[in-house]
Amino acid sequence: MESKRHPARHARGIIFWVLCGIALVIVVLPSAAIIIGVVAKAIPVLRVTLLTTTTRSGALGLQNAIIGTLTLGIGVLIVAGPIGILSGLYIAEFAPKRFGGVLRFFSEVLAGVPSIVIGYVGYLTLVVRLHWGFSLLGGILALSVLIIPYIIKITEVSFAQVPRSLREAAMAVGLTRLTTIRKVLLPPALPGIVSGLVLALAISTGETAPLLFTAGFTDANPSGPMNPVGYLTYVTYTDVSLPSAGAQALASASAAVTILLILFLILGGRLITARSRRMVARLDV
Amino acid sequence: MNVRRITAVSTAAVVAALLVSACGASNSSTTAATATTTPTPVATGNPTSPVTLTEDGSSLLYPYLEELETPLNTAYPNITLSPAAGGSGKGQSDAETGAVNMGGSDAYLSNGAEAEYPGILNIPIAVSAQAINYNLPGVSNLKLSGNVIAEIYQGSITKWNDSAIAALNPGVTLPSTTIVPVRRIDSSGDTFIFTSFLSATNAAWSSGPSFGTTVTWPSVSNEQTASGNPAMVTTCQSTPGCIAYIGISVEATAITDGLGEVNLENQAGNFVLPTADDINAAVAAGATNVPKDLRQSLIYETGADSYPIVNFEYLVLHKGQSALPTALAIRTFLTWAISPTGGATAANLTKENFVALPTSVIPNVTAAIDSIYVP
Amino acid sequence: MILVRRRAGGSPTGPARASRARNTEFSAGDKVFQWLAGVAAVIPVAALALIIVIMVVQAIPAIIYSGLTFFTSTTFSIGHLYATTLTTHNGVSAPQDASYGALVFIVGTLATSVIAICLAVPISVGGVLMLSEWIPERLQGFLSTFVDLLAGIPSVVFGLWGITIFGPFAAAHIYPTISHLGRFIPFLKGPVGFGEGLLTASLVLALMVIPIVASTTRELVKRVPVLAKEGALALGMTRYETVRVVTIPYIRSGIIAATLLGWGRALGETIAVLLIVGDLTLLPHSIFASTSTIAATIASTLDSAFTDYTHMALSALAELGVLLLVISLATNLAGRLIVRRVSTDALPVGRGI
Repeated sequence: MESKRHPARHARGIIFWVLCGIALVIVVLPSAAIIIGVVAKAIPVLRVTLLTTTTRSGALGLQNAIIGTLTLGIGVLIVAGPIGILSGLYIAEFAPKRFGGVLRFFSEVLAGVPSIVIGYVGYLTLVVRLHWGFSLLGGILALSVLIIPYIIKITEVSFAQVPRSLREAAMAVGLTRLTTIRKVLLPPALPGIVSGLVLALAISTGETAPLLFTAGFTDANPSGPMNPVGYLTYVTYTDVSLPSAGAQALASASAAVTILLILFLILGGRLITARSRRMVARLDV
Repeated sequence: MNVRRITAVSTAAVVAALLVSACGASNSSTTAATATTTPTPVATGNPTSPVTLTEDGSSLLYPYLEELETPLNTAYPNITLSPAAGGSGKGQSDAETGAVNMGGSDAYLSNGAEAEYPGILNIPIAVSAQAINYNLPGVSNLKLSGNVIAEIYQGSITKWNDSAIAALNPGVTLPSTTIVPVRRIDSSGDTFIFTSFLSATNAAWSSGPSFGTTVTWPSVSNEQTASGNPAMVTTCQSTPGCIAYIGISVEATAITDGLGEVNLENQAGNFVLPTADDINAAVAAGATNVPKDLRQSLIYETGADSYPIVNFEYLVLHKGQSALPTALAIRTFLTWAISPTGGATAANLTKENFVALPTSVIPNVTAAIDSIYVP
Repeated sequence: MILVRRRAGGSPTGPARASRARNTEFSAGDKVFQWLAGVAAVIPVAALALIIVIMVVQAIPAIIYSGLTFFTSTTFSIGHLYATTLTTHNGVSAPQDASYGALVFIVGTLATSVIAICLAVPISVGGVLMLSEWIPERLQGFLSTFVDLLAGIPSVVFGLWGITIFGPFAAAHIYPTISHLGRFIPFLKGPVGFGEGLLTASLVLALMVIPIVASTTRELVKRVPVLAKEGALALGMTRYETVRVVTIPYIRSGIIAATLLGWGRALGETIAVLLIVGDLTLLPHSIFASTSTIAATIASTLDSAFTDYTHMALSALAELGVLLLVISLATNLAGRLIVRRVSTDALPVGRGI
């Protein structure tokens, strides 16, 4: 039954799949290698004091950076969340088709703007022209501009994926547009939207370039929207060029904590998406 | 309907954008206040509510400011100093734009910057110096002149046993190792004083790259770069044959890491090390020439013992402050910082190898501090 | 090529908008809400307009000053700030001897991103094909988690890992072998260094692009019609030939789209490249040399840009930014437009930076 294949065909197949196997290893291994490598370098400072002390000179702690990153993330959710969700909702449910397409196009263009350009514009407008100096609010705004397109896209897709039968049922019953959205479309779309927000949080946790030029840095915990704020990626970015062993370890520790936060968010997001798929499938009659 | 909506929205967006950018299109700074208003007197003392003074910039000054944080907070519990490094260029930039309260800089501001930001002050708080270090195990007490160093950084002298270097070091066996010049890549006050020294001693350098916080470095094939003083130390330490200019506040690390310190030729023809005595000699020679606005480095001063690369450590800030508590805190901090019983104690200064400000300069410094006001 | 669209009850196929139905009942509250949502929808547009206008307006002085030398000169210098005279070109004054040539950065940007793409695309496609053809289903999810993880790793962590762990390792064990090839290809010769430079930056960039291409490829491969593949196998083709004849043509346009998206990411990547590439304004003479990219230069020069009191440095950085905007927007847009036609929910994650 095994065909009398020309040995050359057979050989070509083997060569191809061996190469693909190597490729698979290259695709799968690095993430583990990076995480393990970074955590290994962080071990000298992985103590409880990492969470209880700040980056103030001498003390090898990350408290202010962790709280700062979380504060920035929450700020981004508060600013970019409503704008992104309402925007996505508008494109999905209210805008006439062509106009919605135009809005979607501009959102995609915004997603393609490099983060350093956003950092430049944020620096020039908020820090310099508006005289805010380095501020938490500036960092939040810069990050929000970066993140909004992602929330818009996911919100829009979430609403679009609600089964047609539900919409038709709502129409048949005579619900107003708003009530339809609120009671019929939102529940099945919500898990998707939430996973979009989680993704936004994950992205903002890992960003550096926009924050470097808008948020500044401080060794203290966040003290107000117009004051500079510390954040994890800054510690990694600056301490990697500091030669002292403590600084190197702190840079790796900061990186490890950042990865941990993002991992936590990604896994949470996936759980929600998985739940949402099951929910949507169940809803369809 | 759609087309109208699209055009309406996009026009609104573009108009809004143009308005915002037009409002800011003027280049003149608005943080500087005019000098014609009668200054509100600003006292010194502990502010009534907590004030944080933000600073960033010079990596040479940074360790000193770190040291001052705790004693300052003890003396004035409501003033917290929050320093950062980043290079003198960043310090100047951030102070000019008002992004930080004070910018740390080893380099005074340029004439253009003074013109662009009227009312900006350069306030020295200590005198520091710069060492030239090298990585040649087995060679100690190396002597070099600014002229030779300039040629090294121009690429004309490439080996350690070059005749020009041998001529300055009679009796010393120099290896044939290739010289690896290390330079700063960030906008650096150390670069400023180093290139000032090279400009003072080498004509080609003076008319070519000249001096500044960033210069167009001649391309040398083996050169290395580093960001910040600490990185200069590690790069040099891991590169045999290297030569690097390192701020004196990290010199202790350089020595313990095995780097040698160059005896630099001064204007009198003597070869000196950056000891406190030799730095003070330079200060004594140059202090009387320091102008009222305090914008001068003490480079290549006359005097038998003067060390040739000596400079003031400046805090750059605006004369006109927007808030009274901030102005108060700044004045208090600066007055405290230059006082021998406050910040500039012998212990604090020696820890970073700095020396105190010369007495002849203090009246101008105090005048500058007193000119801080709230318009 | 047969396109078989499967319809599982209710889930949208093709562009999702087609299945939307909206009712037309409105209440007063509806109008208010719609207006509110409309305002929200305009905000990203306004932000985009603001960004573009500011960048272009800021760039104009430098554009006039440099003219075409922006693209041809390898000297990028903000000039002698402590000199007494200014240099003037075309009516615009800048500090003495200021020169804003971007050729080094253009070459650096293109070199790093092209090398990254040339490595990332075949590796991603090959890896995904392996994953879908040979790996049992249960393991597929487990392994693809690692790819998603790679997408989530921030840019600064890539930079840290690249310069402290991967770079030195590669310089010690991998690069010497490559530099032996320098006998035939001069560009590959050269002092291997300690891990900084063009090659390490390109390799790390490739790792950052892989998740984008791999996740899109995975989605595409899932949609290859089973009938066509089974038909090929029935005809006696090997698995390799099936892949070559059926799968790859089917996913080809999607791969192109994903490549463009990945390239867009590579072009705009700032922090990882800045930490690894060495930040030197020199044309790379060897693949191990330090150089710089557009994004890295903007990031490293911006914070001291105000020391230039003529504000020309700021303008030059804006000109670089406009160039970067143009090329990354063009590639990103091309990629997204094609991706949207192919798959609606494969959102390339991991923006990093």
